[in-house]
Amino acid sequence: MSSLSARLLISVSILLLFFFGATIAVLDIAFRDVGEKAREDILDGQLMTLLAAAEPNATGELEMPAGLPEPRFGNVGSGLYADLRDSEGSHVWRSRSSLGLDLPHGPVPEPGAQQFSRLAMEDGTPLMTLSLAVQWELPDGELKPYIFYVAESLDSFNAQLARFRRQLFTWFGAIALIMLFSISLLMRGMLRPLRQIEQEIGEIEGGNRRSLSEGFPTELSGVARNMNVLIGSERARSERYRQTLDNLAHSLKTPLAAMRAILTRQKSRKLTEQLEPQIEQMTEIVRYQLRKPAATAADAIGATPVSMKTQLSRLVDGLAKVYSDKGPTINIDVTDSAEFRGDTGDFLELAGNLLDNACKWCDSQVSLTIKPADADGGIIMTVADDGPGIPQDAADALLQRGSRLDESAPGHGIGLAVVRDIARSYGGEVAVGKSVLGGAEVTVTIPPHSTA
Amino acid sequence: MRLLVIEDDATLRETLCSQLAEAGFGVEQAADGREGLYFALEYPIDLAIIDLGLPEISGLDVIRQLREKGKSYPVLILTARDRWQDKVDGLSAGADDYVVKPFHFEEVTARVNALLRRSGGWASAVLSAGPVTLDTMRQELSVDDRSIELTSYEYKIIEHLMIRAGEVISKTELTDRLYDQDFERDSNVIEVFIGRLRKKMDPENTLKPIDTLRGRGYRFALERNQDE
Repeated sequence: MSSLSARLLISVSILLLFFFGATIAVLDIAFRDVGEKAREDILDGQLMTLLAAAEPNATGELEMPAGLPEPRFGNVGSGLYADLRDSEGSHVWRSRSSLGLDLPHGPVPEPGAQQFSRLAMEDGTPLMTLSLAVQWELPDGELKPYIFYVAESLDSFNAQLARFRRQLFTWFGAIALIMLFSISLLMRGMLRPLRQIEQEIGEIEGGNRRSLSEGFPTELSGVARNMNVLIGSERARSERYRQTLDNLAHSLKTPLAAMRAILTRQKSRKLTEQLEPQIEQMTEIVRYQLRKPAATAADAIGATPVSMKTQLSRLVDGLAKVYSDKGPTINIDVTDSAEFRGDTGDFLELAGNLLDNACKWCDSQVSLTIKPADADGGIIMTVADDGPGIPQDAADALLQRGSRLDESAPGHGIGLAVVRDIARSYGGEVAVGKSVLGGAEVTVTIPPHSTA
Repeated sequence: MRLLVIEDDATLRETLCSQLAEAGFGVEQAADGREGLYFALEYPIDLAIIDLGLPEISGLDVIRQLREKGKSYPVLILTARDRWQDKVDGLSAGADDYVVKPFHFEEVTARVNALLRRSGGWASAVLSAGPVTLDTMRQELSVDDRSIELTSYEYKIIEHLMIRAGEVISKTELTDRLYDQDFERDSNVIEVFIGRLRKKMDPENTLKPIDTLRGRGYRFALERNQDE
């Protein structure tokens, strides 16, 4: 899971589920206990009413008056039931409400003791029952055992409990949702600077921004500042690298040129034969090493996108001057909006070397086509000519990974080796084949820099 | 043909200038961009060889400024930086070709000759007009396939006239192309050389390859051959 918001929301949801679940359980238990205690008190009160109402009759048996203060005893199926039994368990009296019902009675308590029970009727209706065993003193002084019994249906209590639970779940659910929504809004606000950094880094990658802006919250300002320092130092490093190469090139090649010129003036064949190969070897090494790619795929991050059409137009104009005697037809097929994500010099080096070789070897036709490598970007550059082509074995040897300058394709100088190195520095590859024009076809594939 | 070499490395500059002079070119030389730009703007130059990495004013700026001032003669870049970006920058600034250091002298002369020829509208190194043929690489002149021996000065004059065939070239310009700046000039010498050339090329006086335009100068009069 990569999103901070999602992580936080899921964590908070789990915590809320746990705490709200525990709270609901505690409240449920408390509500049920209080409710049951209240029911017990009510039953106890009903039992006391029955005790108060019972009177011995003339035959020495207890009997209950026709009307009791609690009217529910008189209504059939009212949910409040009572009876009076003797020591054998035979009914002495039973309330009108219990007519036709077979009430469960449970264990008989000890004389003088009360017994609360939870029982169920035959149809499954839950009951709370209270039994009281008494020794009733008759007028003749005889003690006769009786069992007073009251029972109340718990249907209404259970319905009340269920309603209470529904309300608990509804309210806590609503509170949880409001809390999650609030946290989500809060996270959105809190993460806005991070999203801004992400967007600005994207703009830097796209070359549309030089550095991260200022004004981030304290916690992120250090990160933004350090990233700017990193980006700046990386740019400076690339620039220094380029500068060093330029200076080295100038410092080494000018004396080499002077040496060669002096040697030519000496007109000493022996000296020339001895020194010229050394100068040539030094020259090739310097040329190859100092034309290393200016950038790598990683350096390309933050590089201003290069308009390939513009650069190619300049390049073709230049080549038209250089090859004006030969006057090759150079066809360029690239869209106006096509961009190279990398160093301008590297792009010119790729296209320049390939077009230069093609112009050098062609009869009259050269073509350069640039197409997107895939939907995510990258380019496929194909340069073809109608010349004699490159021997496949020489091309294969050159394009093998790890091959060196001295393995460069004959007749194509170090240009193709430089193209190969630049393509590889961007994570790309070079392929050599035969073109439909009849000559060589060199294809350079540069993947999108994010995957390089 | 008068060349300007702007190169800051003294050994390379002096050696290159000596070799160009030996090859028959009149050569001016400058050691930095400022001096080079002055020469490029003020002296009658047929072609400039400019190093890109110059002190004072960069080679690129020298090229830009001389183009802005309307100088249209060919410019050959000498560059140690052989990345294509540098070459394209130089060519876009107004240069016509480049030579990468360290170069063979023959490469420089070949490029110089090609540029001079192209600036005169010639596509080939062999200039051909009527029965007259001038091989600028071999520095050989022939008429009706008859090879003609020329002195260095005579060659310079006929090469200059033929490259700019059809154009009127003043005596002063021809003199400038022949001699170094500090040489004492005598325009009568030009008349002498032209006279000798006419005799060598057209002993019967039937071809009339060089016109004299009184008070204005000389013109190579033969039509360029069609394939040129």
